Amino acid sequence: MPATDHNQGSFLNRISIRRSQFAAVDHIHDQEVVDLDLFQRHVSDRFSLLLSPSTTTTTTTTTTDSHETHHTHPPPPPQILSISWLRNLLDAFLCCEAEFKAVLVSGRDPAQFSRPPLDRLVPDLLERSVKALDVCNAVTHGVDIVQHWHKLAQIAVTSLSQNPVGEGQVRRAKKALTTLLTLMVSDDNKENNATTTTTNNAHATKWADRTRSFSRRGAAAATTTNNKERPTGKNLRSLSWSVSKSWSAAKQIQTMSANLVAPRGAESTGLAQPVYIMNTLIVFITWALVAAIPCQERNGLPTHFQNIPRNLGWAQPLIGLQEKIGEEWKKKEKKGTAGLLEELKEMEKVANSLLEFADGFEFPMEEEKAAGMAVKVAEMGEICRRMEEGLGPLNQQVREVFHRIVKSRAEVLDVLDHIQVCKHSAPLPY
Amino acid sequence: MEKAHNSFNKNGHIPTSPRNIPPPAVSFNDDASDNHLHHYTADEANRISEDVDRFISVISAIDDKSSSSLPEVPDFIKTYSEIIESRITRSRKNVAGGDDDELFFIESVRRISRLTNALSEFSSDARANPPLNQTSVALQRAMVFLEEEFRSLLEDSTSEWDPQNAHNIQKFSSFNSKSQQEYSDRCAAQREIDTAHSVEYPAYSPEDVDKMHEIATTMISAGYETECCQVYYISRRNAIRNQMTKLELEVLLNMDDVVKMPWETLETEIARWINVVKTCSETIFPGEKRLGEWVFNDHPEIRRSLISNILRAVVIQLLDFAEATSMAKRSADKLFRYLDMYDALQKLIASISGESYSDELTAEVTAAVDRIGESAVCIFCDLENSIKSDAAKVPVPGGAVHPLTRYMMNYLKYTCEYKDTLESIFAKHTEPDKKYTPPPPTTTTTASLSSNDLERESDSPHNFETVASTTPFSMQVVMVMDLLDANLEQKSRLYKDPSLRCVFLMNNGRYILQKVKGSPEIRQVMGDIWCRRRSTVVRQYHKNYQRETWNRVLQCLSHDGLLVNGKANKPLLKERFKIFTNTFDEIHRTQSAWMVSDEQLQSELRISVSAVVIPAYRSFVGRFRQYLDSGKQADKYIKYQPEDIETLIEGLFEGNITSMARRKT
Repeated sequence: MPATDHNQGSFLNRISIRRSQFAAVDHIHDQEVVDLDLFQRHVSDRFSLLLSPSTTTTTTTTTTDSHETHHTHPPPPPQILSISWLRNLLDAFLCCEAEFKAVLVSGRDPAQFSRPPLDRLVPDLLERSVKALDVCNAVTHGVDIVQHWHKLAQIAVTSLSQNPVGEGQVRRAKKALTTLLTLMVSDDNKENNATTTTTNNAHATKWADRTRSFSRRGAAAATTTNNKERPTGKNLRSLSWSVSKSWSAAKQIQTMSANLVAPRGAESTGLAQPVYIMNTLIVFITWALVAAIPCQERNGLPTHFQNIPRNLGWAQPLIGLQEKIGEEWKKKEKKGTAGLLEELKEMEKVANSLLEFADGFEFPMEEEKAAGMAVKVAEMGEICRRMEEGLGPLNQQVREVFHRIVKSRAEVLDVLDHIQVCKHSAPLPY
Repeated sequence: MEKAHNSFNKNGHIPTSPRNIPPPAVSFNDDASDNHLHHYTADEANRISEDVDRFISVISAIDDKSSSSLPEVPDFIKTYSEIIESRITRSRKNVAGGDDDELFFIESVRRISRLTNALSEFSSDARANPPLNQTSVALQRAMVFLEEEFRSLLEDSTSEWDPQNAHNIQKFSSFNSKSQQEYSDRCAAQREIDTAHSVEYPAYSPEDVDKMHEIATTMISAGYETECCQVYYISRRNAIRNQMTKLELEVLLNMDDVVKMPWETLETEIARWINVVKTCSETIFPGEKRLGEWVFNDHPEIRRSLISNILRAVVIQLLDFAEATSMAKRSADKLFRYLDMYDALQKLIASISGESYSDELTAEVTAAVDRIGESAVCIFCDLENSIKSDAAKVPVPGGAVHPLTRYMMNYLKYTCEYKDTLESIFAKHTEPDKKYTPPPPTTTTTASLSSNDLERESDSPHNFETVASTTPFSMQVVMVMDLLDANLEQKSRLYKDPSLRCVFLMNNGRYILQKVKGSPEIRQVMGDIWCRRRSTVVRQYHKNYQRETWNRVLQCLSHDGLLVNGKANKPLLKERFKIFTNTFDEIHRTQSAWMVSDEQLQSELRISVSAVVIPAYRSFVGRFRQYLDSGKQADKYIKYQPEDIETLIEGLFEGNITSMARRKT
């Protein structure tokens, strides 16, 4: 991700140059205040872009493309909770994280880590970041599942884009779409019985039940048509979760957001503030990822993961985002749709209308109907394109966040170990 | 394919062979949609197939596909579609048709797919659409059927792969020599089992694999690649998962839990994990690659992406555990398990690379390997600090081998058994310019040896130039060895008695030397010159001991001044005998409590003491006994006969005084 590298690189350069300029001078404390201030401003800036993307004016577009020389508009800002938006979110997080580490570690006397407030705050942060790793893993797996769904939608697009669209093509698309819609429900909900179902057969039975009682458009359509091509428990397969069965994304987020308290009084101007910011960011991005991407056991995901004090300047965009996503989540829980990921929402909608077309299909198709379907197929094609382009990089970015957290944790632990070694090293167990 | 030999006349009209519509043979009472179909005999079906082939050739050969150049579509196209549908219906009702029938079916599906493709080129011609609609339905039904076949073939592996001992999870306790040995034995045994079974995974009969290959090829050529790959991908992933569960090798731990796990539990989990990784790299991954290569033989690109996706999901999960483990708190004990993990991951890399399935994946594993390597280096380098800070306040009774020496030497011995691994880790994770600086050639290391004791300065055992190799790892081992020496030197100062100090240093020096000589791996690191010099130093301690303890004894046995003009100075003589007896008794009492557990060293010491003391005593007694008045007086002053002395010397260094706190060491 060149964007990330670029931002990060330039930022770190600034920091190091600034540090080297001032390190000699005895203004370390002043410098720290400046750094903290800068950090908070950067957090605020980055998340403001995510909240109101319309303000992205700095985006430059290449004007070399001959077709667009006359009208060069910046690309439309990504819709909140879309794949591109999530990628920007992770980018923002990675930038903030790098900056935070610079603020926390570089140029600091390691002894400070063994004194309040860092002696308490840093271990707390490390623990929270380990929990975030499990969320990253669950999300990685969730993206795998979305990729599987995407393939099904792609089948429908390929099939219905053929000319002419015959009964065979429609049946093929219908099969894929029905499976897609069924899986969207069962994949997202199978965590509920994940503890009781271990084998494929058991899963299959449950899914078959689910499919039968499945009230939404897709299954209803499926039951009315040729039952040979209806996905049933027998041939409906999905990926099993790759995390331990008792693990719950919702609970993990709850645990992570517990005892996340804003620093008060004198602490609020010191190092406690950036540590609190980092904690909040970790919880925020994991919460947003879990909301957007199917994960094991999302039921009960808090709509508000915490009350960030409204007087904190840097927190305003985060508060805004939290409210927006929280609202969306409430809607999702009410409707029982598949996930907050924009592309999934659209996919579910388009899949349903395509199924409608398929149900009313008669060969040969009337032109008007064909045109209507072509529009929907194009829409689905566009969603698939966005997924095709975005899911792989998103997954890589989630891994990058994972690796970054691991690495930072190691770096901080090294500093802590160093203090301990100075005091007393581990005795040899003879 | 046969060239379009034109059996059609110029205006594109296809003559229908009178045999084309055969009389109904067996009538099948199929379900609603099929009940009008008839069962065709094999011959009839073959004839129709030939007709279809001919038709495909003809229309494929037409250059201009836009206009109404399509010849009239003959009726047998419809019939052919119906034959396929009826075949599917029969299969669904489990009317077995035999292998020939299956082959015919696959060929028919390919034919109808070719036909559909050929016809669709004329899609602008309205006349093409009704038959196209018909063939597309037949094709779709055939594909759904094949997809189901494919899935059930994939899911019904005939025999379950179940190596007897694969679930026999290794358990081993914390580092100690015994469990370490058992552990490596077990690993070797495990490896044999794994290799023996590796050919049987995944357990499909060759016929089934052939069928899968046929189905995959047919589906892909008909444009159903996505369906085919999805079925394969999901089936294989779930199969691997089930396999792991069955072997109790599933790694489903949260990072959070692993980081908090107590070491004993984690160690068991690591052993289990190593088994999983081994099973993956020796059995499951090669098996998956083989299966993929068979099934997708004709489609290398599809195969590559499928296999790499399947492996990726498993590998990432395995790596997460490794990452979590490397985040746990480090301690000396953990080194060996980390090295085991490192080795296991190296093999995993080998098993996933090969055909460059996924560079990204290899990079992920490499990153994890590096992190574990770094942890291992840190742990090994932390030994420096641990040794430096190992300060005892109480000396080990009897000057015996210090537990630190035992621990460190055993530790180094096992470390050096991982020499190749460590060499590569150190080469990678230490800065090449990190220069080893030996501890200042101080007095600390050679304090108890006077400057004359060592013939030359370079004979110091702490001389860095003496070691055989100078890789970063061997330098680190030498440094640890030097620190151990320095630490022992420090500990030796806890002994007030200089003789005992020498015994202590001798004991420990000897132990170190024996350990190095006994392990080809450390010996290789330290080198023969080091061993020789180390022997010299131990000998020097021996000499020092002899001097410290026995010089004063020999002094009493000096003949000087006892005979004055041929007459014995009796009081002095008596005094000398008395002093000798007392001194010897005192030495015997003290030093039989001292501990030299190395039998050879013990006997060398006794022999050397005997060699010095007994001749001197024998000669002293022989010469002066006559000057003592009577036998009675002689007995009073001469408590020991030379033979008694010999026996008593044999009792030295037994460590056998009960008043001393006994230690197993």
